[in-house]
Amino acid sequence: MNDAPARALDAAPVPAAPKVKSRGLFPAGRTGAAMRAALLPVLVIAAWQLAGSGGSLAGGVLPTPDRVWDAWVVWAFGPQGMGLNPYSGTWLSNVLFSSMRVAQGFVLAMAIGIPAGVLIGWSRAVSGTVDPTIQLLRPIPITAWLPFSIAVFGIQDMGAIFLIALGGFYPIVVNATHGARDVDRNWIRAAEMMGASRFDVLRRVVLPAALPAIFTGLRIGLGIAWTAVIVSEMVAVKSGLGYVLWDAYYVGRMDVVIADMLSIGAMGLLSDRLIVTVEHWALRWRRLQSASR
Amino acid sequence: MGTIRFREVVKTYPGKQPVVALDRVNLDIGEGEFVALLGPSGCGKSTLLNLIAGFEEMTSGALSFNGGTVDSPGPERAVVFQEAALLPWLTVEQNIAFGPSVQKRPRAEYEPKIRELLRLVGLERFAHSLPSQLSGGMRQRVGIARALVMDPKALLMDEPFGALDAQTRMSMQQLLLDVWQSLGTTVLFVTHDIDEAILLADRICIMSARPGRITREITVDLPRPRSVDQLTDPAFIRHKAAIMAEMREAQKEHA
Repeated sequence: MNDAPARALDAAPVPAAPKVKSRGLFPAGRTGAAMRAALLPVLVIAAWQLAGSGGSLAGGVLPTPDRVWDAWVVWAFGPQGMGLNPYSGTWLSNVLFSSMRVAQGFVLAMAIGIPAGVLIGWSRAVSGTVDPTIQLLRPIPITAWLPFSIAVFGIQDMGAIFLIALGGFYPIVVNATHGARDVDRNWIRAAEMMGASRFDVLRRVVLPAALPAIFTGLRIGLGIAWTAVIVSEMVAVKSGLGYVLWDAYYVGRMDVVIADMLSIGAMGLLSDRLIVTVEHWALRWRRLQSASR
Repeated sequence: MGTIRFREVVKTYPGKQPVVALDRVNLDIGEGEFVALLGPSGCGKSTLLNLIAGFEEMTSGALSFNGGTVDSPGPERAVVFQEAALLPWLTVEQNIAFGPSVQKRPRAEYEPKIRELLRLVGLERFAHSLPSQLSGGMRQRVGIARALVMDPKALLMDEPFGALDAQTRMSMQQLLLDVWQSLGTTVLFVTHDIDEAILLADRICIMSARPGRITREITVDLPRPRSVDQLTDPAFIRHKAAIMAEMREAQKEHA
């Protein structure tokens, strides 16, 4: 009984799910959806493969997909530190280098961005003191911070982490601010009327109410964090996917470059899914809400 | 104790063209009295309620609750909002427990009380549901339980049943009558529904708009305990006719 309260309540007839007819090429349901989604990538890869000859196209600049695949297999599973291929067997460690930097920088961005944003949105005084400075610094692209970062932190991890944290911080703080500012006035009034202190209101009303916006900020921030890690590894650090990307380009290994690009994309997608999973869990109440309307 | 007193209360919203929401309002509500504020939308009746709730500040005049000044919201003046205003991420039970828990009352004290209130408003089976899983009427029952759990000295109700369909509204009115008749709390009830005002209140204050003023006060001397069945009683109809005449009169004077 408890698991279907809405139904028990107004006894509204629940319309039977309409039978989805397959339209055109694909069968109905999940399998069909997956096939539909795969169609475009498969076509692009096939066209790319067929357009090339002798393992390359565009006058020898671009390798064909099979060459990219071969390059990735060696990069991922080849023997380390031997022969002429400096990338052989280093894929996992480079992925881990980049991921660790993103993780560290992003945690820093969250640790500063979420509280800062919620406080800015909640308190006019904090907003007036801090927000103008943030808005002043925000238009400076993270790439413009590179020389500063190298000068201050040198060619090492801290520089990359600084850039990632800075890049991720802005969307997180801006979205958290909006979330905390747009809280339903009656929720706050209700809490105050029940005897909540200003801090209670912040912790038990404003913060949960701002969570949906905060998660939006986290997802955007994470995308920028990946941009920042690649940029800083290309210039300021000697390891990671960004370093390999630039290095491989210099020695003309476009097969490695493309395999690297796809690896970055895969990691970005994976980390985004991770946040979406946490979001799903943290905002269960919202899911139920939309399901019942 | 739960007395409310307005003396020459003025509320003006500043702006290019300042809006006088309340113009020298005088109102006395006695201990345990049920007063309905009846008027068209925009007449300032919600503003009046917000002042005594402590949500807004008056521009001039004097306002007191139990003889003391009102400067902030507090659990002795519990508010029931129009759309319930429950916190959507908390379950029914957690919403009701919010007040006692921020007031740091011992759990052992308020938990049995919450169970009792859930029974009173007929929501025992929904203790662990989220507000979004409830109908509008059920949400408002939670809103009432959330107010009552704090043992308020006054209940301030801002068109609490205005968004409900006719049938649900009637069952909520009956619920409120039953609850109030057993508790005897002071109630200030804002509504634009004449039937609702007559059915529930001891006294009806009729408000007119622009500027917001109390133009008439009518005592409802229908016997208690009351029930929604009385909506068709001859005595009820007589009251309604009298109030409608008064409202027309008031409108003419203000036109």
